[in-house]
Amino acid sequence: MTIIFFLIAASTTVAVIFLAAFVWAMRTGQYDDDHSPAVRILGDAPLKATITKTTSTESPLQ
Amino acid sequence: MEKQTAEQLTCYHCGDACREETLRFDDKDFCCHGCKAVYGLLQESGLCDYYELTERPGVKEEDDATTVRAELFDLPEVREKLVEYSEDGITRVTLYVPQMHCSSCIWLLENLQRIEPAIIRSRVRFTSKELSITFREEQFSLRALVELLRRIGYAPLLSGGKNTAGQRGPGVPRMLYIKLGVAGFAFGNIMLFSFPEYLGADTSDPELMKGFQFLNFVFSLPVLFFSSTGFFTSAWAGLRTRTVNIDFPIALGIIALFARSVWDLLTGYGPGYFDSLAGLIFFLLLGRWYQAYTYQAMSFDRSLNDFLPLVVLRKRGSKEDPVSVGDLQQGDRIVVRDQELIPVDAVLLAGTGNIDNSFITGEPLPVRRNVGDTICAGGRQRGAVIELEVLRPFQQSHLKRLWEEHSGSDAAQRPAMPKMIDQVAQRFTIAVIFISVAAGLYWAGRDTDMIWPVVTAVLIVACPCALALSMPFAYGHTMRLLGKAGLFLRDSAVVERMAHIDSVVFDKTGTLTAREAYELRFEGSPLRPDELRRVHTLARNSTHPLSAVLADRLRPKDSATLVPSSAIEVHETPGQGIEGTVEGLGVRIGSAAFAEGTEEHREPGEAHVHIAIAGMHRGHFVMRKRARTGMADTVDSMRQFAKPWLLTGDATVDPEVQRVFANDEVRTACSPPDKAAHVRELQEQGRRVLMVGDGLNDAGALQQSDVGISVSETSAALTPASDAILDARHIQQLPAAVHLTRQARRIVVASLVISLAYNITGVSFAVAGKLTPLIAAILMPLSSVTVVGFVTIAVTLAAGRVGLRRKS
Repeated sequence: MTIIFFLIAASTTVAVIFLAAFVWAMRTGQYDDDHSPAVRILGDAPLKATITKTTSTESPLQ
Repeated sequence: MEKQTAEQLTCYHCGDACREETLRFDDKDFCCHGCKAVYGLLQESGLCDYYELTERPGVKEEDDATTVRAELFDLPEVREKLVEYSEDGITRVTLYVPQMHCSSCIWLLENLQRIEPAIIRSRVRFTSKELSITFREEQFSLRALVELLRRIGYAPLLSGGKNTAGQRGPGVPRMLYIKLGVAGFAFGNIMLFSFPEYLGADTSDPELMKGFQFLNFVFSLPVLFFSSTGFFTSAWAGLRTRTVNIDFPIALGIIALFARSVWDLLTGYGPGYFDSLAGLIFFLLLGRWYQAYTYQAMSFDRSLNDFLPLVVLRKRGSKEDPVSVGDLQQGDRIVVRDQELIPVDAVLLAGTGNIDNSFITGEPLPVRRNVGDTICAGGRQRGAVIELEVLRPFQQSHLKRLWEEHSGSDAAQRPAMPKMIDQVAQRFTIAVIFISVAAGLYWAGRDTDMIWPVVTAVLIVACPCALALSMPFAYGHTMRLLGKAGLFLRDSAVVERMAHIDSVVFDKTGTLTAREAYELRFEGSPLRPDELRRVHTLARNSTHPLSAVLADRLRPKDSATLVPSSAIEVHETPGQGIEGTVEGLGVRIGSAAFAEGTEEHREPGEAHVHIAIAGMHRGHFVMRKRARTGMADTVDSMRQFAKPWLLTGDATVDPEVQRVFANDEVRTACSPPDKAAHVRELQEQGRRVLMVGDGLNDAGALQQSDVGISVSETSAALTPASDAILDARHIQQLPAAVHLTRQARRIVVASLVISLAYNITGVSFAVAGKLTPLIAAILMPLSSVTVVGFVTIAVTLAAGRVGLRRKS
């Protein structure tokens, strides 16, 4: 039955990693705005389609 | 571009119906030049996807009370407030843009770099309506950026941003989420490791059981030392002021749970109550989270600086420079344009003042001021440019003093009201301690080994988890329902305060009567659109208050950009009317005699303005100041909850409003301190007062009252020291809202009875020495879930019963 302790150790480690990821995401403010990121994704595709037309006005960083 | 008559067309940009005229451009209809210009700009930059994302994306350009002049952003002190970071010519600013409302807005605001290449990156934070922009400042000034935003209809406000971030509701603190996450994590894992216990699995392997129990102990440590700290600090803070609050019995229960569990573990007495401990804290934090909800994008304590122009044009010789309002000296000359606020007390030097004091008093009719008159700070000039001489520096101005009398206002300073939950907690704690001592004494005479388990079991099971959850959920849910109906509370504690009120004080102007609403109808031979335009053009030239109303109401929607036709040979006869020639036709606006018409019968409170065009009397406009829709019903149905009063700064009350109140309920000619004094007087008679007001002149009364509600037509309106903001269009919901808060309070009482029943059941197990960890693990979550479910459903049903409607 000692194998169960090994399994528990492994699963708990994974769980703690997820908890740490949650704490990190929370602290860095990733949950502060739950609306705009969802919308941002909608603008991506049409943006590429029209980007060629407007190369002259583009920012150098793009 | 051709002009068409309006026929159910909607504007391609803003989605509003095109009323006055329709502009045709690029095969699309626009309601005004503003909307067309924005479309043109977006089309040029290839940003027309804007219109694909939502149906009515555009924001119509409107004159807003807080629209700030773009040149103000050139000033170092303004720039410093907004700039977060600036190095090597790259600058990042955060602006507060309340107009953003849909996906298209976000998309457009995040693609600004395609309109202006000097913008490197722009990011929207929608929940707080903030826009962060990184741009090359040497190519593109902050002012130009603001002008660009204004051009596309998203004029930023100076309030908000990091300078006032502390004033807007911070929302749920991140730390609470982390605590909740940790507690939930531990709760889940501890339950897993407790499964063998729950299922009565074979315990032939003592090593394994010990291992599980040890793991439970380890997982409970972060719960105790991290997640539950808030309860201990709160209980301790209560004890230091010699009061027992609801957190005290909770803290007691947590300590008992942990100590008993560790003792069980060490002595091998049993598996301990670690699962109950983690579950208890998880549920309690859930209640805290539900309670901590606030309306993040709203500001309940705006500072005066959010409303004043901050910067004015100072005239020296022929030069006009922007200077900060604080730097103005007595004797400086300042220039104030149309629609701008006068920030200091000043004497009029040149031009005609047509001052709208609605910001201060709520009264929208402008008053006329002539050269040499004193104008108090806070008035808004409507009409041509005026020049003023500063009478007093800003710090000593009337407005600043008025504000300071009422500032430093804080919900915490309001008159204390007994909090039901803390009263219950006190009696509860005394009862629990008494029962545990009695149980201990009983077992001392029989079996001394049982003293410790029984006493701790009583403390554990009596932990008022359900009690502590009932209020946050009942009041939190009430607050959300009220928000959907158009009444936004500062926090859920206001619900209980509102349930206690027995008097309601209304302000008249701007609260019961609408700020800009005049009933306007025309009697006579109907005017053609071009004739209406002529009347509007001439009315603009007059400073008479009624002309101002006429000019405002007849104004075509696109007047901001349209070159107005001008009136020539204008002559105004004071007290009679105004005449002039517009587009080749003579127009006369004024009294019946002036427009060669006949006097008609007038109802009290009505005003008639006669119109003659090309020498022919055409009829008259009937104007009457309008009370808000449903005002009378609102006041009438408030009577079943509270005695109403009406306070007004005016000398007389319009008959429409007067009719609703008894004579002794009306106080006229109240100065702002009088209003506050009247509220105080009522409180001294032992009444709990709800004040419903707007404008700066009500600030004192709003703060003095037990609950202050500020009625607001726009999100940018002044809301000083208020507990709640009521959307002016939903004022008739007020009685239902008060009714719901009372129902919510009764629901809390009922839920207390339920949770006490659970506690009594649990205590009877505990006293008999039969509270096994399994029973505790079932009883605690069960009681919490029942109570939370009960209050949520009961409040929702109550909202339907009292007739609270969702706003459309």
